[in-house]
Amino acid sequence: MKRILFLACAVLAFTRPASAQIELSGSYVPLLYEDYIERGPGSDLGDFTGMPMTDEGRAKALLYTSNLPSTIERQCLAQAPWVGMYRPLGIRIWSEVDKDDKVVAWKIEGDYLRDTLTIWMDGRSEPSPNALSTAAGFSTGKWEGDTLTVRTTHVKTTWIRRGNGIPASDQTTYWVHITRHDDLLTVVTIQDDPFYLSEPHVVSRVWRFDPRGNQGGRAICNTANEIPRLEDTGIVPHYLPGQNPEADFMMRTYNLPKEAALGYAESLYPEFRRKLKGLYTPPAACGRYCCGWIERQGLPGAAPGLACNDGGLGELHPVVRSKQDGEGKAPKK
Amino acid sequence: MLVLVALAGSVSVFGQGRAAAPAGGRAGGPPPSARATAPFDPTGYWVAIISEDWRWRMVTPAKGDVVSIPLSAEGLRVAEAWDPAKDEAAGEQCKAYGAPGLMRGPIRLHITWQDDNTLKIESDYGTQTRLLRFAGAAEATRTGARTWQGVTAAQWTMASGGGRGRGGARRGSIKSVTTQMRPGYLRKNGVPYSDRAVFTEYWDLHTEANGDQYLVDTNLVEDPVYLQTPWITALHFKKEPDASKWDPTPCDARF
Repeated sequence: MKRILFLACAVLAFTRPASAQIELSGSYVPLLYEDYIERGPGSDLGDFTGMPMTDEGRAKALLYTSNLPSTIERQCLAQAPWVGMYRPLGIRIWSEVDKDDKVVAWKIEGDYLRDTLTIWMDGRSEPSPNALSTAAGFSTGKWEGDTLTVRTTHVKTTWIRRGNGIPASDQTTYWVHITRHDDLLTVVTIQDDPFYLSEPHVVSRVWRFDPRGNQGGRAICNTANEIPRLEDTGIVPHYLPGQNPEADFMMRTYNLPKEAALGYAESLYPEFRRKLKGLYTPPAACGRYCCGWIERQGLPGAAPGLACNDGGLGELHPVVRSKQDGEGKAPKK
Repeated sequence: MLVLVALAGSVSVFGQGRAAAPAGGRAGGPPPSARATAPFDPTGYWVAIISEDWRWRMVTPAKGDVVSIPLSAEGLRVAEAWDPAKDEAAGEQCKAYGAPGLMRGPIRLHITWQDDNTLKIESDYGTQTRLLRFAGAAEATRTGARTWQGVTAAQWTMASGGGRGRGGARRGSIKSVTTQMRPGYLRKNGVPYSDRAVFTEYWDLHTEANGDQYLVDTNLVEDPVYLQTPWITALHFKKEPDASKWDPTPCDARF
């Protein structure tokens, strides 16, 4: 009997790993230590830094106003597969298995993903290019060592990043690499778009396993009238070409050249600094979102006399640090 | 016997991956070198793609702009006191080019094997050199002075299944830990780390269907003096075909 049990264990040990080489299941919190302003309080309008955009993509992005997402037809455009790379809330990952306990799909649910992402692991092939684009797109995955490599296609038209209108077409495709090191989950997305990106847009983010994490948020998009004057009028809020007053916001606020502010691919590479040298001077002082994480973490450590706005997720009002407010807490209203 | 073999297999497959053991080679023979056991080839020229935090990585931000770094009160105070002229006068123009700050900079890397157990990482930005030591790091720590690049102990972490899937290619990553650093800056505008900082990195290679290769460096900076919590980010570098864009520039305390 013992022999049979041992043998059964041995057989199980050999059969399970083919379906899952690393256990990804669990809740993860995003670590907002990169692109904090965009992922926390929200992006500046006209901030296309770090983007490789085509002229068409740039032109379309500059038509955007923050009223545009209030139109019913566009209320879901902010939600998309992998937009979590630019969102402040957590994700939850789980697997679905077949009767033999083999992983058929990995599932990812999280803030603004528009639908639960399903990453098929059963070897099925990609649908026809003419197949329907869906809210979650179509994703397949395979293990490459301890990395889950994912291919996502058949997505809907959406916006890239958060809240400033950088467009992505329904021809967008992604390669995604998900790697877990101890409690850290690194997600790398490589996004292609034949219309709006001049080269692949690469982003790498880190999440941390946390069973008490802030996973959740809106995975499903519901629409409703938000601005009465837009209801049944056919009005589409927009700026006409050349008339966006925020088009030069990053240039005048942070002394950046147009190529950097408005997402020209050349600005992503070190050699662009040759163009910047002699052109760029740092702003005289940091005027907004300067404080980092002190209030957000709720930890003591206010620098005496430093006034700033953490622009965080909970308390959006300015926090004035002083010796009397030494714990970095917001002053009482 | 079958059971023992099976269980041994299951441990390596279910595990989170484990370090290669350069010291534990075949019985009686010399231990296999890090180069010989490498599950991927990290050598070549790599360029940082500055698609994240552009305003803080490509240029020097305003003094006091410490957003997204979990500084302690003392860290904030020191950042507020940043004075590049003082750094220049002290001959410390390279304070933003220590390992944690350098890797986040607008850099190209040239990675080569210096010897069978040492990876050499050179940067054109600031002309720095760091050694990833798969052997001998403890000795270097004991005998060496603090430097901008510190002492880096490295190990291969083999993917599940001993780095080999069923008939698949050998897979794995590098884990490295850097200590013994001179105090420096995490950001060009004087956001500090102390000589007690520890810089941990996980290096992964991803090869795309079109042949593009990306080296991804998931990293943690821990500093009991100037940080409240570890500062954790991921950096990505794209493989370049040659050295044609390699552009060595000296340290600069201002730009």
